[in-house]
Amino acid sequence: MADTPSQRPEDNDSFSLNRRELLMGAGGVLLAGSLAACGSGSSSSSGTTAAAGTPKRGGNFRLAVTGGGAKDIMDGQSIITKPDQARLMTAFETLLVYDTNYILQPHLAEEVTQNKPDQWTIKLKQGIEFSNGKTLTSDDVVYSLQRILNPKLGLFGTSGFASLKPSGIKKLNSTTVQLNLSYADAGIGEQLGQYYNGIVPVGYEAYPAPQHGTGGYILKSFTPGQQSVHTRNPNYWQSGKPYFDQVTITDFTDATAQVNALEAGQADAMTDLPFSNVPVIKGHAGLSVLVSKTGGWLPLCMAIDLTPFTDNRVREAFRLMVDRPQMVEQVLSGYGTVANDLYSPFDPAYNHSLPQRVQDIEKAKSLLKQAGQDGMTVDLHTTNGAAGMVESANVFATQAQAAGVTINVHNDPNYYGDQYLKLAFSVDFWGTRNYLPQVANGSIPGAPYNETHWPPKSGQGSNFLDLYHQALTQVDESKRIPIIHEMQALEYNYGGYIIPFFNDLVDAYSSKVAGFEPSKGTLNLTSFGNGYTTIWFT
Amino acid sequence: MHSGGIWGFILRRTLLGLLVLAVVSVLVFAATQALPGDPARAILGRSATPDSLAALRAKLHLDQPVLQQYWNWVSGLVHGDLGDSLANQEPVSTYLKPLIINSGFLVLLSGIISIPLAIAIGVWAAVRRDKAFDVGSSLITLLLAALPEFVVGVVLVVLFATVVVQWLPAVTQVPPGGRPWDDMTGMVLPVATLVIAVTPYVARIMRASMIEVLESDYVEMARLKGLRENTVILRHALPNALGPTFQVIAINLAYLAGGVIVVEYVFNFPGIGGALVGGVSNRDLPVVQALAMLVATVYVVLNLIADIATILVTPRMRTTL
Repeated sequence: MADTPSQRPEDNDSFSLNRRELLMGAGGVLLAGSLAACGSGSSSSSGTTAAAGTPKRGGNFRLAVTGGGAKDIMDGQSIITKPDQARLMTAFETLLVYDTNYILQPHLAEEVTQNKPDQWTIKLKQGIEFSNGKTLTSDDVVYSLQRILNPKLGLFGTSGFASLKPSGIKKLNSTTVQLNLSYADAGIGEQLGQYYNGIVPVGYEAYPAPQHGTGGYILKSFTPGQQSVHTRNPNYWQSGKPYFDQVTITDFTDATAQVNALEAGQADAMTDLPFSNVPVIKGHAGLSVLVSKTGGWLPLCMAIDLTPFTDNRVREAFRLMVDRPQMVEQVLSGYGTVANDLYSPFDPAYNHSLPQRVQDIEKAKSLLKQAGQDGMTVDLHTTNGAAGMVESANVFATQAQAAGVTINVHNDPNYYGDQYLKLAFSVDFWGTRNYLPQVANGSIPGAPYNETHWPPKSGQGSNFLDLYHQALTQVDESKRIPIIHEMQALEYNYGGYIIPFFNDLVDAYSSKVAGFEPSKGTLNLTSFGNGYTTIWFT
Repeated sequence: MHSGGIWGFILRRTLLGLLVLAVVSVLVFAATQALPGDPARAILGRSATPDSLAALRAKLHLDQPVLQQYWNWVSGLVHGDLGDSLANQEPVSTYLKPLIINSGFLVLLSGIISIPLAIAIGVWAAVRRDKAFDVGSSLITLLLAALPEFVVGVVLVVLFATVVVQWLPAVTQVPPGGRPWDDMTGMVLPVATLVIAVTPYVARIMRASMIEVLESDYVEMARLKGLRENTVILRHALPNALGPTFQVIAINLAYLAGGVIVVEYVFNFPGIGGALVGGVSNRDLPVVQALAMLVATVYVVLNLIADIATILVTPRMRTTL
């Protein structure tokens, strides 16, 4: 929304996920080789460590969600706005889920295994029913995956399954499905764990068709832009769950009204608490703040094939101009973690051996002088897209002055128009994701959002694509990790990203609700209480 | 001199109003055309292919000449067909109807309370000119008139809903299929905010107008005739003082129709305000156009009613028709 330039991230209260944002926000875990057999026979749901107290039944859980509007939808495999995320989670579940530590766990599937680099097998749990009483079988899994692959529906999961063709989905028996890929892909498991790749029954269609999922609640009523009401699914497969009788999800265009509703006791939880309200809520008896350290990031993107960034000395100088702790303070009011120009902090293959970059103005100046670029001026393009994008640009522009560099910040409402991905210097945003899937989305030729035009065609880093393919087909993790470390070192030394921080998700809730805990994933409020099944009124 | 009496006047003003609306429709159409961004691209998102963009542009008639697009829109408008919302593919009328009813109820309730209240305050202040009530009410109305309504709304929320006491809901929640009057507690603060926003202006105009009338010869005459003061004020002064006030009331009611947007924002009230803001950010042109025309129509109609009412209470003007 471009109507009000925001001064602080929290002012960016009109939340609307576009297709791109979903891809950005899509978390991902590399699940390959031996890791793939994640079916440990565990029957518990993911993501919950025992919270204080014994869960109790009953009550109407009222959730205030940022954003939403006339374009609200309900679809087990798609969302447009943030309230849609909250709504999807009431009724639809995935084969695998991420726990609060961002590790994939089996959910509807008992086991998901990568048999070969280009073949995966899904084995379903027995005795799970949809809310209309129909038993979950492999036919539903086949239908769900075919629906995701249908390009006409424009669902979010489609691009993540690029290696899968509808003809490759094979039902082996009533609980087993085999996926035969067109090429080696270790990322299938994590696609099956994306919340928007929900399992829907055969013949399923989006609202206003009936919404029967395997989840804890059944849609009762829904007015786009206002509210939806969901009643408890008495037939839910995890015995004893869920705990609420009803879940009510309300859209809020304004964060202040959202906070007011929470303070007045009209809501039991809210998404995206503005940072400036954190002290107020903390000081309020009966309300709590939930800060989740996520792997979301807002990079400053230098296109390595466009002037002045064709010279790596200039890119290095720019990386040395950033005061990262100050960025965290000024852009995120402290709600973030300093980053090291690398993404995917939760990936087991994250390269911790690379030294933390710190501001070094003198070195930056000398590098620019060597490159003949001292006293340079450059345009930095940004927009009121994700919270903090404009602030990041402005803070960086101020910091760059110390090195004698003039940055002209352009805040463009049509940023994601035709010029996007063609700019020399721009700000963008991404969510939590593991390394290889992130590379597939942003750092190789053909990736949908390669802002930096990485890797270079020649010189340092030109072997990046080869390394990527090696990593993708290497099923042995102990051999794969060194390859990934080498890829990260190349991006760290020669890449186009400046990544100053990872931002936190900050939510608030009434202390009457138990079961919330910090989570590293993409969704708010412990993935909305893991589909409203692991939270309850005390 | 004009002819046709009061009916001729109404006819002429109605035709004039329609002309104004026709001009407004051109402006609204031109303004929405000028909104930056391509609606087809905004709807399809970044993954739009050239084929799907072209198909959607054709569906939305964006590929036709601008004049043709305008004609399609206006002829639909005249037939009550507002088109389909681009954001949710529903007919605009289906989508907006409940929201218009909600906002209409908010405005109506605010008007019913604020106008008699403002007239009473204005009249009483004029009658008690320079006395304690006049000075006090002048001070308060001036102060309140200077406050933007979102400040009033936020202060009311802090006082009655969140920080000081928690007697009233901070936001108005209307369940799917419900109406705001199902739970009137949710209406108290939004209505109070609008009443506080509108009353001061009308009260001040009423006071000024009443003072002028009270100083006039015919009021002096009525008093000299020995009529009781109540009769002088209510029968002789008030009807004449109301004339100019009607115009201000009309403008304020019309302002309410647009000004509810801010109040709706503060109280998360499900009305046309949210629909308008959402419509602009979604490039949902049919919704924006429909709401702009609605607000314009409200202005024109209220002004027409105010003019007629002014004439009806002013015999001098009635005779010149």
